[in-house]
Amino acid sequence: MMRWKTLTRRGSIGLLVVLLTVAAAAAAALGAGGGGAKTSLKFDVWSYSIPTIQDNIKKFQQGHPEVTVSLRDTSWFDYHDVLATRFTGDNAPDVAYSSDHWLREWVAAGWIVPLDEHFPQFKSYQKEWAPYALEGMTLDGKLYGLPYYADLVTFIYNDRLVKKAGFKAAPQKWGDVMRQALALKKKGLVKYPINIPLKKDDPWLIEIFYSMVYGRGGHMFDGDDNPVFNKPNSPAEQTLQWLHNAMTRWKIFNPASPESAEPDVVKTMGAGNSAFTVLAKYNLAELNLGQHKERGKFRMALMPGGAHSTVGFVRFYAMSKNAADRGDDVVKDSGEFLQYFGGKTNGKYTVVKRWALEKGLGFANLPLYNDKQVAASINKWGSVNLEQKQAKLAHVKEGLTPYWGVWDIYARQQLDAAILGQISPRKALQSMADRWERLKKQYG
Amino acid sequence: MTTAAADRGQARARKSRLGRRTYSWATLAPVLVIVGVFTLVPFVYAAWTSVHRHVLVLQGRPFVGLRNYQNAIEDPLFGDSIKTSLIFVGVSVPLVTLAGLLVALLLNQRVRGFGILLVLVLLPWAVPTVSAGIMWRLLLHGDFGAVDGFLFRIGAIDSYIQWLSNPTLAMASVIGVHAWREFPLAAILFLAGLQTIPPDLAEAARLDRASAWQRFRYVTLPLLKAPLLIVLVYETIVALSVFDLVYVLTGGGPGSATTLFSWFTYTATFKYLNFGEGAALSFIMAAVLLVCIVVYMRVVRLREDVT
Repeated sequence: MMRWKTLTRRGSIGLLVVLLTVAAAAAAALGAGGGGAKTSLKFDVWSYSIPTIQDNIKKFQQGHPEVTVSLRDTSWFDYHDVLATRFTGDNAPDVAYSSDHWLREWVAAGWIVPLDEHFPQFKSYQKEWAPYALEGMTLDGKLYGLPYYADLVTFIYNDRLVKKAGFKAAPQKWGDVMRQALALKKKGLVKYPINIPLKKDDPWLIEIFYSMVYGRGGHMFDGDDNPVFNKPNSPAEQTLQWLHNAMTRWKIFNPASPESAEPDVVKTMGAGNSAFTVLAKYNLAELNLGQHKERGKFRMALMPGGAHSTVGFVRFYAMSKNAADRGDDVVKDSGEFLQYFGGKTNGKYTVVKRWALEKGLGFANLPLYNDKQVAASINKWGSVNLEQKQAKLAHVKEGLTPYWGVWDIYARQQLDAAILGQISPRKALQSMADRWERLKKQYG
Repeated sequence: MTTAAADRGQARARKSRLGRRTYSWATLAPVLVIVGVFTLVPFVYAAWTSVHRHVLVLQGRPFVGLRNYQNAIEDPLFGDSIKTSLIFVGVSVPLVTLAGLLVALLLNQRVRGFGILLVLVLLPWAVPTVSAGIMWRLLLHGDFGAVDGFLFRIGAIDSYIQWLSNPTLAMASVIGVHAWREFPLAAILFLAGLQTIPPDLAEAARLDRASAWQRFRYVTLPLLKAPLLIVLVYETIVALSVFDLVYVLTGGGPGSATTLFSWFTYTATFKYLNFGEGAALSFIMAAVLLVCIVVYMRVVRLREDVT
């Protein structure tokens, strides 16, 4: 019996040692990288048209068999936060989507590297880009990206409903929008004619707000990145007051918009339940070509307001410091990847053109406007002339600093609160300005 | 026995005790290491983070003392989120308690189909919170939700109600969904308590011509004091720390209408990327929860003493 007890104790210690050894060996095996001559690139994107991206990757890999690209996609709502934690958590991508409003943040944090220092040939593309796109990818004279797409925030309306209400032309100012919306409501054509995505998780909200302010000829920040939107009776306050009135007084704003993101608004517009919206221009392609009840009835107009100005933005491919640190082979392959996706292949912008033809995404590469196929494609759902006219009046977002990304999250919450009447527009804007100053102090 | 033999015996006994102690520690060591790694280390790291500037985008982690705590408390959303949390706790805890008690009283009648009723009662509790949140978000959507669709169809409303877009209704919706998920546990606890009450007491009261309300008020309720306290304290802890439901259902909105303290802590850390302030807020929340847990433990001990 004594021997059995001793054996059991020794046996259990021995078993424990064996188990721990096996576990350690398994962990080492899992941790060890696979050998092989192929370069593996991690490519992070937000979730839009993943099958198209996968097909593009497949074609790239066919031309570059020494490279394997693994795609990781994240919801657009969470992209900024997820990438921030990936960059700092040793799980950084090699190449990733980025945006003009995150450029300064990612450069300040040391997460992405200048492309022209590794690939001087990319500089030759710059002269072909729209000015707001070039500005959105350049910092301190260095180029940090090749464009994925560049587009405008535009005013979109249902032409059929507007004509049915007795109006001959699109609204020119926000007062016109109000009058046309009230007429549509009074005639029983649409209960809530205006729908703009107000869901505070949706990063589009701030760009839409900027556009509406720009349309009135206003600014959000001055040349030194100081807030001007909080000045009493500023165009920003007028815009926010207008949105608040549309929601609570005139009741022409879809009350479900605080829980609506961009895709929800597109569905509502497409179903004919709203007549006016402010969205990125590529949504016009979806509305006129997609499976919607009101398909083909939508038009773009210059952003209402005295200045008709709007936001022009660029989303781009960036290369991470992680890729640069992994060695020359990875850098070389990342460069070829960027070239294929954001540059020219055999003298043509193959991937950029594909996005424009298939999805109506805008582009930074101005020569594509001279491409007959592209122009014809745009004119099926939009207007090349009007698009170019609006582009001339487009500006990048002001105030782009390393802390703009986190300020944006707070700003959206305040905008929502003001539109719903939880606080006054003036208080909301002042609160946004206070947060800006606090972040400025914190970030030095 | 000779002295030498006794000494040898003692030596063997000491060796045996040493062997047993070594064996005990050897078998416990891996578990202690794992527990230490996943509890103590994060706790200490969080404490360190809370007194250092730790903003993801900024380089360096300088020591800042209690500045993170000060900044967090001075944030306008700090006060707002505490107020919102107090409203949430103040309404949801009594609601869960009352609903649980009523259902327990019903189940205690041992009506026909008791087994099926019990399963139906437990169903909300079995649904994972995230799934429940997604389900209710779709049901309550202001444009196409099934709840509005049904109410509109039966003529109860003439236009869709914005359950999640209206600030007041959004808060009510979060409270409602939370209560829907939590009341089964309260019901089970109350049912267990009801089943320990001797039926003779109620019978005696009935014979004395006490009404149903009088029997409940003077016989049943006093004997449910212990489970009632447990439910109140436990549900308070749960309500103070609820996060996943808010994340899925409203994202803290519209505006800041459903920004509970737990959501504010998450936002500070993962949205504003300020891990220092997030850690400070976590410790503040942990301190409050610790008080609740101490009260809970005392209540449980009280119940054990009573039984």
